[in-house]
Amino acid sequence: MVTSPIVIKTDKLSKVYTSGKIQVVALKDVNLSVVEGKFLAIIGASGSGKSTLLNLLGGLDTPTSGTIQVQGTKISEMNKEALAGYRRYGVGMIFQSFNLLLARTALENVEFPLIFSDVGKKERRRRAEEMLEKVGLTERRSHRPSELSGGEQQRVAIARALINNPHLLLADEPTGNLDSRTSREIVQLLVDLNRNQGLTVIMVSHQEDLAREFSDEVIHLRDGMVRAQDKIK
Amino acid sequence: MKFSDYIELSFSNLWKMKLRTFLTTFGVIIGIGALVSMISFGSGMQKNVTESFKALELFNSITVFPGGYIAAGRDPDEPGQRFERVAHPSSAILDEKVVAEISELKGVETVFPDVNFPAIVRFNGQEEFRLVQVVPARVASSKMIKLQAGKPYLSDDENSVIISNWLLRQLKIKDPSTAIGKKIELSSIAFDFAGFNPLNLASLLQGNKLPLSKENYEFTIVGVKEGMGFGGPSPVQNDLMIPAGAAQKIKKLPFTSVWDIFRAKEGKLGYSALNVRLSSPKYVESVKAKIKEMGFSTFALADQLEQIKTSFIYLDMILAAVGMIAIFVASLGIINTMVMSILERYREIGIMKAVGASDGDVRKIFFFESSSIGFMGGILGFGLGWVVSRLINRIVNYFLARQGVPYIEYFNFPLWLFVGAMLFSVVVSLAAGIYPAHRAAKVDPVIALRHD
Repeated sequence: MVTSPIVIKTDKLSKVYTSGKIQVVALKDVNLSVVEGKFLAIIGASGSGKSTLLNLLGGLDTPTSGTIQVQGTKISEMNKEALAGYRRYGVGMIFQSFNLLLARTALENVEFPLIFSDVGKKERRRRAEEMLEKVGLTERRSHRPSELSGGEQQRVAIARALINNPHLLLADEPTGNLDSRTSREIVQLLVDLNRNQGLTVIMVSHQEDLAREFSDEVIHLRDGMVRAQDKIK
Repeated sequence: MKFSDYIELSFSNLWKMKLRTFLTTFGVIIGIGALVSMISFGSGMQKNVTESFKALELFNSITVFPGGYIAAGRDPDEPGQRFERVAHPSSAILDEKVVAEISELKGVETVFPDVNFPAIVRFNGQEEFRLVQVVPARVASSKMIKLQAGKPYLSDDENSVIISNWLLRQLKIKDPSTAIGKKIELSSIAFDFAGFNPLNLASLLQGNKLPLSKENYEFTIVGVKEGMGFGGPSPVQNDLMIPAGAAQKIKKLPFTSVWDIFRAKEGKLGYSALNVRLSSPKYVESVKAKIKEMGFSTFALADQLEQIKTSFIYLDMILAAVGMIAIFVASLGIINTMVMSILERYREIGIMKAVGASDGDVRKIFFFESSSIGFMGGILGFGLGWVVSRLINRIVNYFLARQGVPYIEYFNFPLWLFVGAMLFSVVVSLAAGIYPAHRAAKVDPVIALRHD
């Protein structure tokens, strides 16, 4: 059996937030390896450090100590400019609250990241339309987020996250604002993308059943530390 | 990011907050408008003065004074008191011999003595007291005198007079052309030297035993001279001018100052001053040097040119300072708007960063927004300044025209003012954008995305 290459590897990853004189340890010595093409779920109670871990992996935040390697590159040592490049091309992120631009239509939201990667307007449109089709929202393209359901909004967010063809998708509680039926649809979409396109997905969730049902691997975080790592399949 | 994307992004953001953008831009419009009209006024004044000096060929003229008379202060607002005369004992006098001598110098076109005498003018049933200036025919027909009606006298011997439209107005004549060809009476006051004793000055001042005699002369009005808006120290500025030949026939007081009286008594009476006209300003220095060698003092406006320029720079600076205050206030408005915008778009900035915008991208977007405000404010502000200036110009000219002052363009809008206003507006708004842009770039996406 051929082993797939490791996409993400963290070594003694720690994050400490300082607020005045109080120090809060959000992550402590997290060692993690994610194999390419896997669907990984991170579960844990709120405050367990799951979102912090995801923000570090997504290049939105920098660790206090330890290293993060993504496809062999240490993103924990990148400067701000390089990190912006990593966020642009290397990774896609979706959030519990969707984080769409409210004044823009679905299509405009999807094409938005391409503005920062110097893609011309026509090409942006074309790629955004293609992406919307993939998530099944072609007909809602000119609707603004306020005119879309929660599930539709999350689909727009997924399309946006994938517009630059990253290898890695990070989902921070993607179903947190959705009902159970829509939640399953969204997770199913992520699974499809994972299966059909070889996209590595890391999903943070507090819904253990959902996580266990769909993922290849589940990691339990408690108090900023990895407590258990279960391989499902 | 592409340039067009910056523009599109910043304009769509500004459009989202239309009212605030409009109000902020309006502040810039007023600031730039004030600055532009102030500077265009300063520039207009400078243009008017230097151009009218040039048109009157004032930079080609030298005034010669008897030796030891020093031309000191110069006040363009009071043409009658151009020179502060400081007396020194001197032997050289300005007579016809000197006139001839100076006429021979290279570059000299005309030399004519500065002769004025007091006279009472009677015309149209009115009476006015004026200083009459003796101006040779060749000078009367030169560029130095702008006629509104009629034509200059051609011979030095005709009994003709050129009158200013200003004096005509005081003599209750509204239309200058109706005065042409009419007779006008000048009453000169002559002085009886024999009966004058300087030691008896007290009685003279009390009006006793005035050794004066009056004579009446009739002249024909041939031309009406235009009053000068920016006449300045022109050598020909009196309200009445008569030719040299005719002047010789008149018994008159040959002086206009008390000092002349004493000099006359000593038997050394020459002309109080000579007006020298050159063919080009480039001869000013050489002619001045030669005249000084003869033992006379000189005054040339060309010497004052640098001083005039400097004083205009000061004027411009004072005017610009007023405009600058308005710009400063406007830039505070920009800072306020942009900082508010960061707070409102906190989450949006977080999203931009999450999808790959660098700090530099965010900074540039904010810079584009503030400079867009500056750009729009610059264009519209220049427009406002222009409109307001045209309006003021019209109103001022309307009222001054009723007083006989010719039409003057008080404001000047050169191309550099437009370009400068635009650049300045954009630079100021960029400067106002520095702090907000920096702050926006520093937004932590982790916090911003949690933000509600």
